[in-house]
Formats: sequence, C-alpha cells, structure tokens
Amino acid sequence: MLYNNHMPLSLEQKALQEQPLPSKIFLQGQAGTGKTTAGTLWLKKLLDSGIPAHEILIVIPQRTLAQPYLECLRDETVLAHSLVTTLTLGGLARRMVDLFWPLVSREIGVAKPNLPPQFLTLETAQYYMSYIVRPLIEKEGYFESLIINRNRIYSQILDNINKAAIVGFDYTEIGDRLKASWVGDIEQFHIYDDVQSCVNRFRNFCLENNLLDFSLQVEVFIKHLWSSPLCHNYLVRSYRHLIVDNLEEDTPVCHDILREWLPDFDSALLIFDQGAGYRFFLGADIASGYSLRKECDSIFQFEENLVNEPCITHLKSGLEHAILSLQGGSRKGIRIPYDAIKDSIQSPEENPKYFPVMVHWVANQVANLITAGTPPGEIVVLAPFMPDVLRFYLSNQFDELGIPHQSHRPSRSLRDEPTTQTLLTLATVAFQDWEMLPKRINLAFALMQVIEGLDLVRAQLLTAYVYDARSGEFPLKTFEVVPGEIRDRVTYQVGKRYDHLRDWLESNAPQNTNRLDFFLNHLFGEVLSQPGYGFHNNLDSGNTIANLIESIQKFRWAIGPQLPAEMFTIGREYVQMVQDGIIAAQYVHEWERQDSNSVLISPAYTFLINNQPVDYQFWLDIGSPSWYQRLNQPLTQPYVLSRNWVEGDLWDSEDELAHAHETLRRLTLGLLHRCRKKVFIGMSELDVRGFENRGLLIRLIQHVLQSAKRQSR
Amino acid sequence: MKLPDDFYFTQSNLQDYEDCAYRFYLRHLLHVKWPASVVGDAIAFEKMGQSGARFHRLIQQYLLGIPEDRLRDLALRDPNPEIAEWWENFLQYIPQLLDGQRFIESTLTTSLAGQHLAAKFDLVLVNEDGNLTIFDWKTSKKQIRKDWLLERVQTRLYLLILKQGGASLTDFESIGPEQITMTYWFTASPDTPVTIPYNHHAYQKDQAYFIKTIKIIIEQDSDAFNRTTDHQKCRFCVYRSHCDRGVEPGELASLIDFETHVGSDMLKIDIDRIEEIQF
Ligand code: SF4
Repeated sequence: MLYNNHMPLSLEQKALQEQPLPSKIFLQGQAGTGKTTAGTLWLKKLLDSGIPAHEILIVIPQRTLAQPYLECLRDETVLAHSLVTTLTLGGLARRMVDLFWPLVSREIGVAKPNLPPQFLTLETAQYYMSYIVRPLIEKEGYFESLIINRNRIYSQILDNINKAAIVGFDYTEIGDRLKASWVGDIEQFHIYDDVQSCVNRFRNFCLENNLLDFSLQVEVFIKHLWSSPLCHNYLVRSYRHLIVDNLEEDTPVCHDILREWLPDFDSALLIFDQGAGYRFFLGADIASGYSLRKECDSIFQFEENLVNEPCITHLKSGLEHAILSLQGGSRKGIRIPYDAIKDSIQSPEENPKYFPVMVHWVANQVANLITAGTPPGEIVVLAPFMPDVLRFYLSNQFDELGIPHQSHRPSRSLRDEPTTQTLLTLATVAFQDWEMLPKRINLAFALMQVIEGLDLVRAQLLTAYVYDARSGEFPLKTFEVVPGEIRDRVTYQVGKRYDHLRDWLESNAPQNTNRLDFFLNHLFGEVLSQPGYGFHNNLDSGNTIANLIESIQKFRWAIGPQLPAEMFTIGREYVQMVQDGIIAAQYVHEWERQDSNSVLISPAYTFLINNQPVDYQFWLDIGSPSWYQRLNQPLTQPYVLSRNWVEGDLWDSEDELAHAHETLRRLTLGLLHRCRKKVFIGMSELDVRGFENRGLLIRLIQHVLQSAKRQSR
Repeated sequence: MKLPDDFYFTQSNLQDYEDCAYRFYLRHLLHVKWPASVVGDAIAFEKMGQSGARFHRLIQQYLLGIPEDRLRDLALRDPNPEIAEWWENFLQYIPQLLDGQRFIESTLTTSLAGQHLAAKFDLVLVNEDGNLTIFDWKTSKKQIRKDWLLERVQTRLYLLILKQGGASLTDFESIGPEQITMTYWFTASPDTPVTIPYNHHAYQKDQAYFIKTIKIIIEQDSDAFNRTTDHQKCRFCVYRSHCDRGVEPGELASLIDFETHVGSDMLKIDIDRIEEIQF
C-alpha cells in the first residue's frame, strides 16, 4: 500500500525523515516494514527543500518499481516543476550509448563507426541468435546430444552473454567457467564448447553490423563511457541526488557503478530489502548490493512489520524455523501458538484428487471473502508458475461466480491472437511467392473475421470455390467463379466485399514485398476498418493489429539493413519466425496495469517483485517442487556465472540442495511478509500435469501445523 | 470525464483536442491505437521522421560537447544526404545564438486547473541577463508562417510552462513572461529563424485559454467528445476509417507541419519510450 497523507508514520519512518539532507543513508529491512513509503517521503522531502526534480535520479532494477515514486511526484507537481529520472542499469546504458555513440564508436570495434548503432530488442536479438545458431545445429552438429526446443537453446545462449555483461566478466570466459564447475558426463563439455562458439560468433556478427544487444550496450557503457570524462561529467552534473530502491535485486555492475558514483551525489538513499534477491536468475546480487552500506554515512534498520497480523507473524516464525532446521541450523523448538497457526492457514477438509476440484474450492473461498466485504484487489492467487491450463480454469470459475479478476500475464501472446493470425493469413495469400499459402480452413476463418456478414459455414463454402493454392496464379478468384446457388447463400453483398478485398490484395502486394508493416497499415486503414468490414468499430482489434505492425516494423528496422535482401524477404522471414515461436511470442504488456478492484492471478515471483502486500493469498500447487527447484537449463548455470562463484569450485548435488532450501526460504517468507491476514492452501493429489507431488513446501507446512498442535496439548 | 491518474496535458494531446475532440478521446483517453497510415506515401513519411530524429540527436550531441569533427563524420555518412546540408547550416547559423546555460531535452511540468501539464524542450537557454530562450528545431520541408506558429498549441503551451515552471532551471525566484522568447529554426530556411517574444498579456490570454480547455475536458461526459465538423482535419488522421471520413490517406506534400502530425515526441528519440530490455 502506498503512503497517503492520512496514514500515520511509524517511528522508524519518522526517524529517517528527520535526517539532515546532505546525507547518504543505507536503509535496510524486510519487506513490509515501510521502506518504499519512506523512500517516497524522502523524495517529497527533497522536493520540499527546493531541489529541482530533474536533479534527482531514481535507480530501480525494473521499471514497474518506480511507480510509487512517480505517483508521489504527480501529487507534488506544483512543487516539482520538472520530472525525476527513473532508470534501470539497462536503461542508463542504452541512453548513454545512444547519446555518446560518436565518442566511442571507433574504440569498440564496430565495423561502421560513422553509422548509428542499431539497438536490438530481446526479440530481435533472439532472431539474430537463431540466424547464427540454426545452421550450426543443422549442418555442423552443434548441441546434438540435447533434446530441447531450439528457442530455449537460443535464449539460454543469450542469457549467458548477458550474464557476462552484468556480472562483469569477459564473454569469452563463459564456456571455461561452466566447464570448470561441472561434475558429470563429459558430453556436457562439448555442449559448453558449443555455447562459447555461438557466443563468439554472435558477438562478432553484432560488431560487424553495428548491432547492440543488451550485453553490448552494458559493456560499452561500463568499459568505455563511464570512464569518459564527457559522459561521466554529464551524469554527475545532471543528477545531484540519488534514491535506489530494491538494491538487492540489482546486478553487480550496477552496484559497481553506484559505488563509484556515490561520492559525487549531494544526498543518497539506498534501500535494501533483507531476505529478498528474487531476481537472482536475472543476475541480482545480494552480496554486492549489501556491500554498498559501507559507502554510506549512516545505516537505518527498519524492524517493525506494518503488514502482518500476529497470526501471520507466527506462521512466518514457524516456517522460518522449520526451514532453518532443514538447512542444518537450530534444532531447538520454538513455541508457536496453535490457534494463531489455525487462524493463519486455511485448506480444504480433504485434498481433492484432481485440480479442477481444488480450483472450484479456491473460487468459492474467494467469493466468500468478497461477500464478507474484502475488496477483490486484496486477494491474490499464486502458483510457482501459472500454467495456462490452471489460469484458464481459474478464470472460468471466477467468471462463473462473477468475481472480477486479472491475470498478471494476459492469457495469449501476440502470435496467438486470432486477429494476428487473420492478418498474417491474408498476407501469406497476398504474397504467394513466399510459398506459405494457408490451409483452406485458416483462410475461411480469416475471411469470416474480416468480412461483415460472413459466418464460418458460408466462409468455408466461399473458399471452397475461390481459393486455389495450386494454380500458380493469384490464389484468390473473383466471386464470379462461385456457382449461382452458392452465391445466393453467401449473399451478393458479402460477395462484393470479398471482391473488393481480393482486388485490393492483388494490386497492393507487389509494391510491398519488403514492407509487410506498411502493407498491413494500408490494408487495415483502406479496407478492413472501413464500413462493411470486421474491424470497422472494433477498437480492441485495432490495438492488437497495431502491436503486430509495431513488432514487424521493429523487425524490419533491425533486420532490413543488415541482412542481404536477396537472401530473403523480410515479411516472409517475419511470418516464419512467428510460426517458429521466435518472435511475437512475448505477452502483450499494455493491459497489465494492475486493477485494484480485481483478484490477481499471478506466478509467485512476479507477485513478489511487484511488491504490493495483500490481505489474502492463495498458494496453489504447493506439492510442486517448482517452489524451490531451479529450471532445467543445460546451457547455462546462474550460480556458476555469478560473481560469488569461487573459481575452482565444483557444483554438486549438495550445492543444488542447499540452494533449493535457500530459495524456498526466501520465497515463502517473502510471500508472508506481503500477507496481512491469511494464506489459503490449494492442493490436489494430482497436479495440473497429472503427477502426484509431495514436495518440501507441503511437508514443511504440515510440520509447522503438527508441532504447533503438539505443543498446545 | 475523469482523467487517468498519470495523465499529463502536453502539446500533442492538446493540439489533438483542438483539432478534434473525438481524436483526443480515442487516442489519449481510450488509448486506441488505430494502425492506419497517416499519409499515402508511408515510406517517405517514415524516412522523414527518422531523419528528423537523427538530426535532433546530432544537435543534442553537439550541445553536449561531442567534438564537431566526429559529428560531421556522422552527418556526412547519414543515409539521408540532406542531413549533411542541414548540419552545415546549423553550424553556420546557430552556435552564435547559444550563449548561456543550456538545458538540453529538458522536461518541465506545471499545474493548471488542478491538472498536470508537461513540455519537453529541445533546448532552453538561460543567459546572463536572466533571459530564457526556447529553441525548437523543425525539419519539415515546408516553410511555416509566423502567424501560424503563433496560434499553435506548442508555442503557447511551451511559453506558458516555461513561465510557470522555469524557475526550477534557474536560481530566480520567479520568471516574468517578458524574459522569455521562443525560437523556431527550420532546416528548410536556415537563415530565417522565427522568434516569438512573450509578454504578460499573451501569458494571461494563454492561461485563460488552457484553463478553459482543460475544464471543458474534465467536466464533459465521454459522449460529448464530438467528431470535428472540419473534414480537412480528417485527411491526416488515422481514425478516418473508424469515423467514416474517407478511405485514402492525405498526401505527404500537403502536410504543413509534419512534426506535429507524427507527434513531435516521436522525432525526439525518447529513450524512455523505447522498449527496455527486461533481461
Ligand atoms: S477522422 Fe476526423 S472526426 Fe474522426 S477522429 Fe479523426 S479528425 Fe476526428
């Protein structure tokens, strides 16, 4: 919950507010102790004292975490007169590389230093990685012992090169580091060698083509710009006051920069969440973040949890103690009042066998809470991952009971949207030389979507006569070729609309072979959104198509100038990449704004990172080992590629177990720090995939319950 | 109509409102992206937009102190040969006007009628006499008349926001309108920049105008955001098909101020709006 003027401050928050301004403060405490609120009050204090907002820099590990500060600033517009800058390390690197490119472009080894850089998005970087690696897999036997989806190969190689940049070691060392820590089958050595070879080729390709992926942006900033007096002075002059939130979720090179920069600021507030570090897999480094406290004038510790009711505090202690003994720590018992534990946890009388029954129970509990007066925004439904099928069942049940809900991840990716598929189907028909002509049923579906008054049955009838994928000519015939009785059924009005669309496609395709985005722009504006066509008043579809066109446009900008046009047409390549799941697979973000009046359905980590406490949490699938086991990533290893890894150590099963326990501790306590009143446990004997799971978390909870019960006797 | 909490009035959304209330409603309140073309020749339009953005970036780099010879290399090798010429003209006419403290690509905010307003300036120059000059670089191919500029929302809003919020750039307690001028410099007519002075009367008039406009916007119901009656405004509007106001987009050559049409924000490569890689 964000601070508002009516909320009393805790004593700890007051004490921090009373600190004189020109000070550098390290504020630490667990989640729920009001640190971010204190941060926003600190920002207000800076503005109150007459410091212009544009002199204030707020560093966060991901942009959503800047929200409380931006809201505070909006409340203070009269005072502020300008905007604070909120940046992630990636944002800062990109901004500086873009601005100061001419200063460094000759030093960094790009082939065309007098041309601007081409920044890659995650999507386009993934594309280039696939462009480089695919032939190696197909022709040179790379990764032949692996049976995993190719997209996972590309993304894990990218993950490695990004890790090298944010941890701060040379990308040429990735393979050796991984090999040196490996205990096991020798075949894995070949895999790591292949990884290194792909990384090297990718980097060389980027340099030859002025392409700057995330890793190269960070490296150029750290190695070249940060030490350049012009860039360094620009930053130091621009920003005089610093606030860093969620320092523990940031990366070692970000911490390095902050360490060197801190003496230049007039004031600084560094906020560190103890017990967090959830972005470890993305390079977060708790140890290097914590070491920054030595650079500050004073350290503040917030102890008082402002979120938990006493029963949750007891549950937290019980679980913490149980995990500690699992980790080989204290075996001495602690007293946990049974009544408190009973108040803090609720589960069905008996676990159902199948998960849909569990979902049913969850939905009923949520409905009861809302009926009893709980705002829907105070309820969150969590699972370690939120598989689509579980999300789907939950959404259906909530819909049936009229419960407002939102999923943190909208349920479909851009490529799965029917509107996207419709547009790409029409494109593959128009550009027949791509040789990607659609199936008849897909064309029928597309025509049904875009022509008003055409249902699927008649669309199938129509395509049965007008669509000819084998003639070698334009594959759509005019309505004229349809036999009279069928024309009557389809109707002449629909036929007219069809003909207009057909003629437009035939005459506009030739001049747009390499500009699929423009082609779709015109198709949408001149036909599909005109009266008589499906998108005329469909504002939502307009947004989806706009997202698709934007994705194609970025692809064209990133790919067009670099790869020889005679090799392929960009539009065809784009459609192929969509079909392969390499692009347009990301989830659309526009709709992700949290609605305070809906129940949130979310993966547990996403909820943690977003840092918003709620009254009630539902933990689903708690028998699953996914609560603590890391993903199977055969091409990378986040622990070994971290800064804390000691050269010469080997990663064995004991390390794996120790880290699983630590993950479980951070995750469960982190969730409980953000819970006010109660946790509902949803579990079925067979999980979503039909497996019987009795992982650590369920056993720990049972242990806490039983020992509290024993003690109560 | 209640505006979203994070809503700022800017020159681009207020210009939209002035052109057509319905366009404002669709674009800025409903966030409807309607992916139709603004003009017929979309390729040339995109090239113009990208050239404008690169040229703005060159000027920004120059103002930050990046050596001139490096920038000249970039200008000479730019895919658009016009940029080299624009660049030489810029160097010939502008540097002598740049005496004073520079605030490059700064954003200022202020409040009016209880609402937030924001402007992002290409350059604000504060000179030793306490005068402030707003510079705005325009890469439109057309020469734009001064009286047209005087009426544009951009001119009036930028001057007003600098008057109300500019003290945060200076050590002054407050800034009088007479201390402010706005200079437009056109690549199409580099030797004749247009300078617009400000005064108390203009400030009061603009303030009253914006207060009135903002009040209308926040007080009217959603169904009162009507379509414009001036069909000329629809020629370069992406919502044409939705409003049933024609099929073909307008011609690029008849677009007067293409920068406003693409939204001047698009020309200044706004790094905050570029997708950030969530590694
Ligand atoms: S097409 Fe015309 S009426 Fe419709 S939003 Fe645009 S300017 Fe307004």
